[in-house]
Amino acid sequence: MNESLYGPKTGEGAWLWFIKALTGVLVIVILFTHFIVNHFVAPNGLLTYAEVLKYYQNPIIPIMEILFVVFVVSHSLIGLRGIILDLKPSRSLLTAINWVFTAVGAVAIIYGVWLILTLVAKGASS
Amino acid sequence: MSAIRWTVTFQVFRKKGEQASHFDEFKLEVDPDEYVLDGVERIWAFHDHSLVYRHACHHSTCGACGMRVNGAEKLTCITPIRDVTQDGGVVRVEPLRNFTLVSDLAVDMGVMYKHMDLVGQHPVNLDTNEAIQPEARPAGPTVDRPDYLRLSDCIECGLCVSACPITASSPDYLGPAVLAGAQQGGILGDAQVFHLVDSEDGVWRCHSAFECTAVCPSFVDPGWRIMDLRRQVIAESFRQLFGGSNPKETGSKEASK
Amino acid sequence: MSDITREAPITRAAKWFDPRSRTINMVGFILNRITALGLTLYLCMHLIVLSQLAQGPGAFDTFLANIHNPIFTFLEVLVVTAGFYHGLNGIRIVLISFGVGVRYQQALLISVLVITVVVSAVFAVHMFSF
Repeated sequence: MNESLYGPKTGEGAWLWFIKALTGVLVIVILFTHFIVNHFVAPNGLLTYAEVLKYYQNPIIPIMEILFVVFVVSHSLIGLRGIILDLKPSRSLLTAINWVFTAVGAVAIIYGVWLILTLVAKGASS
Repeated sequence: MSAIRWTVTFQVFRKKGEQASHFDEFKLEVDPDEYVLDGVERIWAFHDHSLVYRHACHHSTCGACGMRVNGAEKLTCITPIRDVTQDGGVVRVEPLRNFTLVSDLAVDMGVMYKHMDLVGQHPVNLDTNEAIQPEARPAGPTVDRPDYLRLSDCIECGLCVSACPITASSPDYLGPAVLAGAQQGGILGDAQVFHLVDSEDGVWRCHSAFECTAVCPSFVDPGWRIMDLRRQVIAESFRQLFGGSNPKETGSKEASK
Repeated sequence: MSDITREAPITRAAKWFDPRSRTINMVGFILNRITALGLTLYLCMHLIVLSQLAQGPGAFDTFLANIHNPIFTFLEVLVVTAGFYHGLNGIRIVLISFGVGVRYQQALLISVLVITVVVSAVFAVHMFSF
């Protein structure tokens, strides 16, 4: 009999799954918008550096892209964690993975936001 | 039964104790309308008494004879030979996956049975498809009551557990049969069952592969039941968040309505 | 439930991707997992590559010129395919998790597969003729 059956669980519960589902749907919504806008509304379809910079001057664009980074990184990391949980890692390994994934997620999001804001700044000064 | 006779090769998985596994071949003359289990029995009776396998009712009610036939999970007592091969063909028989092997074709279902007890399986009201809780059951014989005619569909054969890709990789996953049993028994009135289900060994390990529903010989549809459990757990979590009553702690059914 | 605990993680993980003697439903699960991993890899590469943008016009325009070849275009079509499959199947899973259309889950899966193939074909034609 599995002793850990009634023991404390790691918290893979309803909320984490719900956030994975929600971020997934939001990614689809933003991706759809991103695609339509980037390739059909933006003039010439953003094929040169200059066009990209000009495009990022419209405040809606960086906001959309920042949200995109947050949602897609979260969805990916929660999903990867789910795949790892399917292999039943030990409690200590899972704690380590939780820390590493949180750190990786934070770094990826901060980097993405920095990149977006850099583009906005460059476009403003050119 | 017709007079047609096929010659079919049975490849039977053999493993005793710590020996390496191997396949034994038996060429049998069979009536194609006979069942795979009939072939296995004939092998035991006339060719090799050391073959270990399980069987009982021979009409898909006891759930004992689950095996993999040419790789796919089947209840061998209701799987005609003509459904899995043709004249001159091969029938490969192996034990179910994701259970500890006892010997040859028999596996240890003990863990699954214990978990089923934990989540409880109750008779079901035929009209509403709701579990009839222990307090609501009348004392005395229920044989003439129409709403007691339907017991749980699940015959605890374990085909779903064998087919599930997650029980293949996670030894503690409750598995489709047990989760389906929890859904039928009800999770909102019992904190322990609720927490079992709302955990990394419960519904959140399911990734909607639906192989369980595909192989179930008894119309349990564990896939749907696990999806329903998810919905219930999420709804309950939202109720908790927005300050609703705490039925799963008090164990009260009224508060959960 | 079994001797699984004695098996190495890689052996256990390999079992997820074995479609032999399985129904179409298993194919759905396998593709969802593969596209998830593939898209994650793409996400990493995309984030790294986008740093080229911050370096200025020369780097970005050179990069765009370099990827204008059949191999890269093919890989981009794969990304579109993976994205469509994973997204559509994701919607299917969200729907059935909330009780919508569970009875039709297999038909929904087949629709997802068909739409993915059709959309990928359209994208492939479009991108290769660009």
